[in-house]
Amino acid sequence: MERIFGIDLGTTNSLIAYSDDGTPRVIPDPDTGSPLLPSVVAFPSASEIVVGARAKALAATQPLTTISSVKRFMGLGMEHVTAADRAHYAFAEGDGIVRFHIHGREYMAPEISALILTELKHRAEAACGEEVRSVVITVPAYFNDSQRQATRDAGRLAGLDVLRLVNEPTAASLAYGLDKKNQGFIAVYDLGGGTFDISLLKLHEGIFEVLATNGDTRLGGDDIDHRIATLLLSQVPAPLRNDPEIVGHATAAAEAAKIRLTDADVTTMELHLGSVHVVRQLTRAEFDTLIAEIVERTLIPCRQALKDAGLAATDLDAVVLVGGSTRIPLVRRRVEEIFGRKPHTELDPEEVVALGAAVQAGVLSGGHRDMLLLDVVPLSLGIETMGGVMERIIERNTTIPTTVKQVFTTFVDNQTAVDFHVLQGERELAKNNRSLARFKLRGIQPQPAGLPRIEVTFMIDANGILNVTARDERTGREQSIDVKPSYGLDDAQIERMLEESIDHAEEDVTTRLLIEARNDADALLRATRKALDGSALGTDERAAIDAAIARLEAAMRATDYNRIRDLTDELNQATTPLAQRIMDASIKQALEQKRVEEIA
Amino acid sequence: MGSTPAAAAQRNAAVWPAGEPLSCWQCGADRASNLFCPSCAAIQPIPDDADYFQVLGVPRRLVQDREVLQQRFYELHRQWHPDRYQTGPQEARSASLRNTAAVNRAYSTLRDPVERGEYWLTLQGETLGARNNRVPPELADLVFEVQEKLEALRAARGGNGAAELERDVAAVHAELLQGQTALLEQLDANFARWDAGAAEPVTLNRELKATLSALAYLRRLICDVEKELET
Repeated sequence: MERIFGIDLGTTNSLIAYSDDGTPRVIPDPDTGSPLLPSVVAFPSASEIVVGARAKALAATQPLTTISSVKRFMGLGMEHVTAADRAHYAFAEGDGIVRFHIHGREYMAPEISALILTELKHRAEAACGEEVRSVVITVPAYFNDSQRQATRDAGRLAGLDVLRLVNEPTAASLAYGLDKKNQGFIAVYDLGGGTFDISLLKLHEGIFEVLATNGDTRLGGDDIDHRIATLLLSQVPAPLRNDPEIVGHATAAAEAAKIRLTDADVTTMELHLGSVHVVRQLTRAEFDTLIAEIVERTLIPCRQALKDAGLAATDLDAVVLVGGSTRIPLVRRRVEEIFGRKPHTELDPEEVVALGAAVQAGVLSGGHRDMLLLDVVPLSLGIETMGGVMERIIERNTTIPTTVKQVFTTFVDNQTAVDFHVLQGERELAKNNRSLARFKLRGIQPQPAGLPRIEVTFMIDANGILNVTARDERTGREQSIDVKPSYGLDDAQIERMLEESIDHAEEDVTTRLLIEARNDADALLRATRKALDGSALGTDERAAIDAAIARLEAAMRATDYNRIRDLTDELNQATTPLAQRIMDASIKQALEQKRVEEIA
Repeated sequence: MGSTPAAAAQRNAAVWPAGEPLSCWQCGADRASNLFCPSCAAIQPIPDDADYFQVLGVPRRLVQDREVLQQRFYELHRQWHPDRYQTGPQEARSASLRNTAAVNRAYSTLRDPVERGEYWLTLQGETLGARNNRVPPELADLVFEVQEKLEALRAARGGNGAAELERDVAAVHAELLQGQTALLEQLDANFARWDAGAAEPVTLNRELKATLSALAYLRRLICDVEKELET
């Protein structure tokens, strides 16, 4: 069966992993050896797109044509963009879904994410020598419906079949839960680059039942970097503080200082750009004070989740840390204090989500038969009723999939359409919750008011995504229904964007050529090694072949398929005399055998 | 999924009572009301009119064992969960979605005694209706006291004496929780009497309704108090 890959599409870094014989593995970048792909997309010119480490290197010098942390804008509208965001990104004019303005073109967040996914897809294809089509992608547990849809759209735009969206903390628990000793109640504390999640699970004989989840989709390592950068920028002459290039350099220096302070007690940050020269020392104690408020903010969702699950901290059997920001000593200390136990950190907090995604990919392709994930919907779902009040129809922390049926009718005689507005959130008033979509039931038979009965089914599937269908209760016929997502793309938009992306088909051809070149080279290397075994060769001939092998192997680790082809030819030539001798020997042997047979 | 008719038969035996004849969407064979086709093992959709007891495959009665309910919940998910049918045909995927959604709703209703009781009433064609909002007579004094203290606390917020009032409210909160425990015990007793047919259904229903509305009221009050204590 076709292999399913697991992808962690992170705010700061993204990873791709697969499961082999039940063991999940992350796929490293062939050039850097690291499995982390910085989630950064840069547009150095109108015709050039760079993704990953090279893009990240451009972030400081070309801040407005480089998009970092695009995940923060997935499924959001322009009205959610803050003043601080505007210092880091060039947004398009107008309202509606968030759009970036780069080299005269507008890009939506899912399009940028799709470029990151495509890069991961290519990496996995080069590493595994097979096409990557079906994937599981992880999302923050606290992502709402629009943010989930945007993630799925990004997958579609990258030419991927997104079989499942899995919540990041739940995925992490799957990776930890491979060790069957883990039973009982566990808490997963996931502080990433841009999002915070807390999930409480009950593990029972291979079933991972999420009891409650909570979080903040705009809280993470980025906020910490921002605070340190602000500190550094306060020493920059006021007129230059909002200069995107200076802000970009300050942010990079802040992130580096934060990472150094994981082990060091004091570090020095430097900012040199044009006439600006700033040096600032930062101690661990000062850093802790600076970020204390951010860390405390993560504890509120923790308490709420415990309450929703009906658990006390003392009921927990284990606490697991996920996300790069959980490397910060203060975070570890506070988590230990609130849950009253030392958290688990055996698995790399930056890899564990991708590993878990690969485990879930394994479950979907029929492996891990004893494991099963039962997740919940993170936010209540409701419809707007009279007076702008939200009437809840699905409560948060309901196990998914779940369905609720609601009957709608008309208010005036001969009304043929009914509108309703679907929202997500915990507040009483509709305007304080997030708008998901507006629906219109059309083609209702003209009848006196209140007589038509249209049964609408709200279904939240295993991805945590809402599906709405409607049926005329009397006739039993499907009722047509129009959906207008508040911050999403409809199918027609996706189709159009996919058509545009055919322009990028050239890239796909390049990938295929690379895979083929690597496969051919691999076959030749194997044949050569086999031939070398037990063949007597002159020292010079042997040295020439060994050198050609080394050169080819080095080229295979890079991505230039022409070079792989050239060096494959070179090795072929170097081994021709050897092949000739082997051939001669086997012909001679065959003839001899024949002669023996003839005699017999 | 790689299951056999024999395995299907084993599961069916545990799950569903036989009923009217129905045919399998995959092989067309008569599957009766089995949820796995006896001849091709394909998953079948739960009928629309199945009640929550049937969905979970537990006896239709008010007294339920939480452990048993949870066991059934896990067992059914192992058989029906969409993860198991991801690569299967559309009909299997949609039956799996429908069945697991039904299991989730049945389990979340039946495991909670108050929701179970309310659901029981709807099965009898009754609802708590407006009674739900009325102060239960036996709790009138307590409710009055709580409301008064909450008012005082809200008024005193930020000023002197707020801490003391907060302690007062916390004490009342504990009292409310005790009241809830007592009512839950009373509910259990009601459930047992209903199941044993200890009186006329009309009388039993009336008693059940009274206990349930008192509990529903108390829950809301506790919620209000907790909200106030958190701020």
